[in-house]
Amino acid sequence: MSDQKPPANRRDFLVKLGTGAGVVALATQGAASLRALVPNVSYDAPTTVKLGPPADYPDGLKFLADERLFVFRDGNTFHAVSATCTHLGCTVRAEALSRPETKTVDGQPLKLTHRFSCPCHGSKYDGDGTNVAGPAPKPLAWFRLSVSPDDGQLVVDLADPVDRTFRLTI
Amino acid sequence: MASLSRWFSSEAPSAPGVRPTRLWSLRPKSDRESGDAITSNFLLHWFPAKVSKASMAWSYSFWLGTVTAALFLVTILSGLPLLLLYVPSVERAYQSVKDIEYVITFGRWLRAVHRLSAHGMVIAVVLHLARVFFTGAYKNGLGRNQQRQWNWVIGVAMLLVTLFLSFTGYLLPWDQLAFWAVTVGTNIASAVPFVGPEMRELLIGGRSIEQATLIRFYVLHIVFLPGALAALFAYHMWRVRKDGGLAKVDHEEVTESARPVSPSPTKTYTLLGVARGTSPAVSARSLVAPDTTVNAVPDMARRSMIVTLGTIAAISILAVFIASPLEEPANALVTPNPAKAPWYFLWLQEVVTDTTIHLGSFTINGAFIGGVILPGALVLLLTIWPWLDKSPALATGVWFPRSRRTQNIVFIVLMAAILLLTYVGMAMRGPYWQFYWPWEAWPDIPKRI
Repeated sequence: MSDQKPPANRRDFLVKLGTGAGVVALATQGAASLRALVPNVSYDAPTTVKLGPPADYPDGLKFLADERLFVFRDGNTFHAVSATCTHLGCTVRAEALSRPETKTVDGQPLKLTHRFSCPCHGSKYDGDGTNVAGPAPKPLAWFRLSVSPDDGQLVVDLADPVDRTFRLTI
Repeated sequence: MASLSRWFSSEAPSAPGVRPTRLWSLRPKSDRESGDAITSNFLLHWFPAKVSKASMAWSYSFWLGTVTAALFLVTILSGLPLLLLYVPSVERAYQSVKDIEYVITFGRWLRAVHRLSAHGMVIAVVLHLARVFFTGAYKNGLGRNQQRQWNWVIGVAMLLVTLFLSFTGYLLPWDQLAFWAVTVGTNIASAVPFVGPEMRELLIGGRSIEQATLIRFYVLHIVFLPGALAALFAYHMWRVRKDGGLAKVDHEEVTESARPVSPSPTKTYTLLGVARGTSPAVSARSLVAPDTTVNAVPDMARRSMIVTLGTIAAISILAVFIASPLEEPANALVTPNPAKAPWYFLWLQEVVTDTTIHLGSFTINGAFIGGVILPGALVLLLTIWPWLDKSPALATGVWFPRSRRTQNIVFIVLMAAILLLTYVGMAMRGPYWQFYWPWEAWPDIPKRI
């Protein structure tokens, strides 16, 4: 009978209760504090942005710094390529090619006027956004362009990546 | 008033057994007062009563731990006035740092002291770690209950906190340098598989570097990380004492045998029960022999004060001559070319540049290999090294012992590789992270597009 545990008395019970309550209180406070750090409302810039009337866009490339976006125009077709490097998020720079060339991208011809380089780690991209050198793991994203029905402005949806056959024809 | 004057006077007590204690006394007036001064002395509780002369040698430890602690003290002291001058808001942070730099009297010097001591701390921590490694000082000797390997682990944790402390301070000026270094740094965090993007979002408080990021980094920088470092530091020092001081002492203990020494006139051996008779023969090992040890106060206290004052003096003088950089205000629209991480992370930036692997259509981002796997593996290796090191106890507390030659070479090679990559990142990377020799001129590339 000696190996039997002595019956729990009131003091043991209260000590355990107090310790347990303390642990639960601290854990709850800790969890609540951590949860409060996860934002419920995003004050980041909206993802759908009006970019001005299509007539403002020259043939070739226009860089929109606020959206970190390149908008290309070839006659009456438009497409938009992200300027955010896929490696670590720096803004890539466009360099004009001395002679525009035409490349078949996913079965569709595309006139390339520029290529892109990243100043942070030296990644290089072709004019269609394909990563060709450096540490970038994937091509630059293409985003959906549309025309706003109310005032005819170009609209980009930065939350809607599209494949590289996308063109907006006006 | 009466009670206050009692603190400062040494008048006779009013009741038997009650004696006045003076708040502060530079010159004790009685033996009792000097005794009280000793028992209430913080340094005497920090340090042991006696320390071995060998472990105090400049050429053994170079006092690098003390230098690090002194630099930590200086960052805290110089950070206090900056706390009152800096405004952690994206609209005003840059302007407030500019004011500190150009308007406020001694502001430029205070900022330089803060910056230099923070950078110096990174260097001193790494040198201290290297010293402990080369002398095998994380190994246990003959003392009882030694846990030096755990103190090494605490030390590795302190290195990481120091780096993170420095990195969080890097964002606060809210200039281009800060903004893009933190963009790159936090994007490395998002390369962690599965939880990476969420981790980055928690760290910066959103999807882009904004007010939420600034206030998070600010609070980490002024409250949580210094608090963590102070707590770890206290534990680190306590463990040094529990482990019997520096590892050098253990080496002396192993190599020297007990030898007879003349009885100390100040010790009552009979009373202590260590010997019988009135004129005992006493034998002692080096740790307790009178000719190989000194009193920690004043000998060791004096030396640590010299190191501390020397460190403060060096930083204060350097801060007059080395200005702190402040670039253009942070601009999310323009990436500087080249955009470089803080110098102590440049080796990682160099690695993340070179480690993207393409296997056919399958690609592993260099940010994951160079930013997560490699530093993670290095820290893990560093942490568990005391358990991998099977060298004999004789290799404890000596520089470059033969039995630890291989591991010292491995350590030196790794450190040299990190130093080389840091140098390449600092001096040999130009626009678009292209390689240039230090003597080559960079091409003239427009800074903006």
